[in-house]
Amino acid sequence: MTIPSTKELLQTMQEAAENLSKNDRRDFLRKGVSYLAGAAAVGSAGAASGASFSTNLPPNEPIWGRQLGSGVVANPYGEPSHFEEHVVRRTVPWLTAESISSISMSPIQNLQGIITPNGLVFERYHAGVPSINPDEHRLMIHGLVDNPLIFTMEDLMRFPSVSEIKFIECPANGGMEWRGPQMEALQFTHGMLSCCEWTGVPLKVLLEEAGIQPEGKWILAEGADGAHMSRSIPIEKILDDTLVVYAQNGEMLRPEQGYPLRLLNPGWEGNTSIKWLRRIEVGDMPWHHREETSKYTDLMADGRARRFTFVQECNSVITSPCPENPIKKPGFIEIEGLAWTGRGKIKGVDVSFDGGVNWQPAQLKGLVLDKALTRFSFQTKWSGQPWLLQSRAYDETGYVQPTLAQLREQRGVNSIYHKNSIHTWQVQPTGEVKNVQVT
Amino acid sequence: MFKLPNIFAVTLLSVAMVSGVVQADGHKYNLGAPASADEIAGWDIDIRPDGMGLPVGSGNALDGEAEYETQCAACHGVFGEGEGRWPVLTGGEGTLSDERPVKTVGSYWPYASTLFDYIRRAMPFTAPMSLSDKQVYGITAYVLYMNEIIEEDFELSNENLATIRMPNEDNFYVDDRPDVKNPRCMADCADVSSMMLASSLSGVTPIGHFVEGADAPAASHEGQHNLETQKEAKRKAEITGEEVSESLSAEPAMLSVQAQAGEEVYKGACFVCHGSGLAGAPKVGDATAWVERVGQGMNLVISHALEGYSGSTGFMPPKGGRMDLSDEQVTNAVHFMVESSH
Ligand code: HEC
Ligand code: HEC
Repeated sequence: MTIPSTKELLQTMQEAAENLSKNDRRDFLRKGVSYLAGAAAVGSAGAASGASFSTNLPPNEPIWGRQLGSGVVANPYGEPSHFEEHVVRRTVPWLTAESISSISMSPIQNLQGIITPNGLVFERYHAGVPSINPDEHRLMIHGLVDNPLIFTMEDLMRFPSVSEIKFIECPANGGMEWRGPQMEALQFTHGMLSCCEWTGVPLKVLLEEAGIQPEGKWILAEGADGAHMSRSIPIEKILDDTLVVYAQNGEMLRPEQGYPLRLLNPGWEGNTSIKWLRRIEVGDMPWHHREETSKYTDLMADGRARRFTFVQECNSVITSPCPENPIKKPGFIEIEGLAWTGRGKIKGVDVSFDGGVNWQPAQLKGLVLDKALTRFSFQTKWSGQPWLLQSRAYDETGYVQPTLAQLREQRGVNSIYHKNSIHTWQVQPTGEVKNVQVT
Repeated sequence: MFKLPNIFAVTLLSVAMVSGVVQADGHKYNLGAPASADEIAGWDIDIRPDGMGLPVGSGNALDGEAEYETQCAACHGVFGEGEGRWPVLTGGEGTLSDERPVKTVGSYWPYASTLFDYIRRAMPFTAPMSLSDKQVYGITAYVLYMNEIIEEDFELSNENLATIRMPNEDNFYVDDRPDVKNPRCMADCADVSSMMLASSLSGVTPIGHFVEGADAPAASHEGQHNLETQKEAKRKAEITGEEVSESLSAEPAMLSVQAQAGEEVYKGACFVCHGSGLAGAPKVGDATAWVERVGQGMNLVISHALEGYSGSTGFMPPKGGRMDLSDEQVTNAVHFMVESSH
């Protein structure tokens, strides 16, 4: 590829811009600048001299300091810088027959802190994303209750609200690697994972409103979309911490996340948190529906299967370095990652550089919340030596994240769900990072 | 007798109202309206293993066979074997502890009620909740029959569905995790000499976004399908020496008003098959797949879409299985598909 000199490029841009009407101009400039940025990126990847031809570097005054940008409400909702265009959800198409009942992963390799921005929360649908008019959406509560009720969105938002930061994880996260490593990127090994601040009403409050009868031991939650996704949930969970949620990270739920209403079972497998929630039935036993028999049951080596495997057990992964975030050069490095557990709070995380032979405690940083992503950090130096990098989290119940060998010994390799084993990144002398398994 | 001044009484009353969250009828908030029996009946679609929720009615595999073939076989295969990558519904008995288990209705599902419930709530995939109870009984019976669980003439009904035993019922047990106890060892935790390292397969995940020049599969289903079709065309061309047309999905064409009106319907009802060419559907955007069909005249093509059509490549269900759509809506969708495939 031949890279036009900056001067040539600017000249062409200038000439073309003069021929454009005023309205077209902003758009053209934006494209021009991103082309420049693209060229710069190629340059820096190719040669050590980096983007030395850019006139935006010192001692020059950069282009953005010599002109005006767009004004307020040019983009009334707002979106990330277009330089961040690579930070998107992605899927692995061979996982499912088509995209309507499929899954995408969050780019956790690019995220900071513990909150997943709304547009990047991983997606899982069984019949595509419905477009629901909130004025016509209803939540029905019936079954073993004294007063069957129907709520409008307005009713629900009139209840006292609670806001809580909780992770959601698909139990199939990592499930493609029971037999061996095959996903070449963190986004695909661990990206069915997100964490938001959710706002809504405890389901317990709504059930009390309907008057739950003493025989009521389970509920069935059901979605309003074409899949009418349904799951049975024991009443103890509802009385503990289940929420009926209408907002995430400060705004109304995204359509992909169940707009206008969803369930949230903190710390439990994501599919129990029914999206587009329209109905709660109280009963005296579980329903054994398709998503808790055919799917979301864990097949063991002996051919028997576990059912109602609700909890997402303690897990962790290093997000930097990782295949997408190689180590660029020797020197100081902060190893960072995420830890989470469906059983409460993360107590600590250890890091190993030799594939799990020796371990050192890492630091937890920022908020350490119940059933929320928790960030950990380990500061060290890298001088080009190969590493087999691992993290191992433990939670407040004393449960320690297991090795893959331990899980396989108990469960075989066909259980698909709930693979929470210690993950290994191989850091090569070049700084590149590969997904490997140590057994 | 001491009498409260009027003004004081009023104040007391209003204090009581402000703090009086407990209402006369005993409810805390008194929000929401009573759900009527009618409203509940319309939405209460769930079925339990004990038969709770089953609508009064019946059907058998003989009734269900034809329905299955028109409504389900395009994806799940005539024998439930699964077309392409769509779910398999039959077979797999005795494989659950094998290296590659095959989990189907027959080999894995613990309860027959689940099948009735799932078909009614979610199938056919493109038109959920479109089947009558009679159809669901018939199709459920047929799927059970294909799995050799009931006889062909068994009249499946709300009376007997709960009595059917599925072969794998007893092999489920409730979660007994934590099943692994890993001690928090800090030093010399593994024997280096016996450690094994397995590396990832390359080329199975889309990583073109961070590895320059990576020959990775495309990141979308659409993209993956295009990639596969292109590869196949190239392979064919190598054998025949023919030219390969580079762009499969042409630039968006100028659409007629009718076609524009059909775009939404297409996305909601037809895209699932015609977007990728699954189940043998002519792919929208692939001119060669459409040219001969359109050559028969638009009227015939439209009537095939309305009434269903079994040609040389697969089975097109009437209106794509969406009997709720008007003829006009389907016709518009056909215009959109044809005009987008020049
Ligand atoms: C357009 C393709 C298509 C058609 C037509 C279709 N299905 Fe399906 N079917 C699917 C897909 C896709 C799934 C998986 C959905 C999911 O997992 O969210 C599925 C799942 C199922 C399952 C569950 C399989 C399992 O092992 O969990 C059953 C049973 C089923 N379909 C029955 C039917 C019946 C009966 C019909 C006809 C009335 C039908 N399907 C028509 C695509 C189709
Ligand atoms: C379950 C998959 C499926 C769905 C959903 C579907 N089709 Fe089809 N369609 C097919 C298949 C398969 C064929 C090819 C049949 C053949 O030629 O063998 C086809 C063929 C067609 C044709 C060509 C008919 C001809 O004369 O060659 C038209 C037009 C068409 N479909 C329109 C539609 C429209 C409009 C919709 C949505 C309302 C739709 N289809 C939904 C599977 C589907």
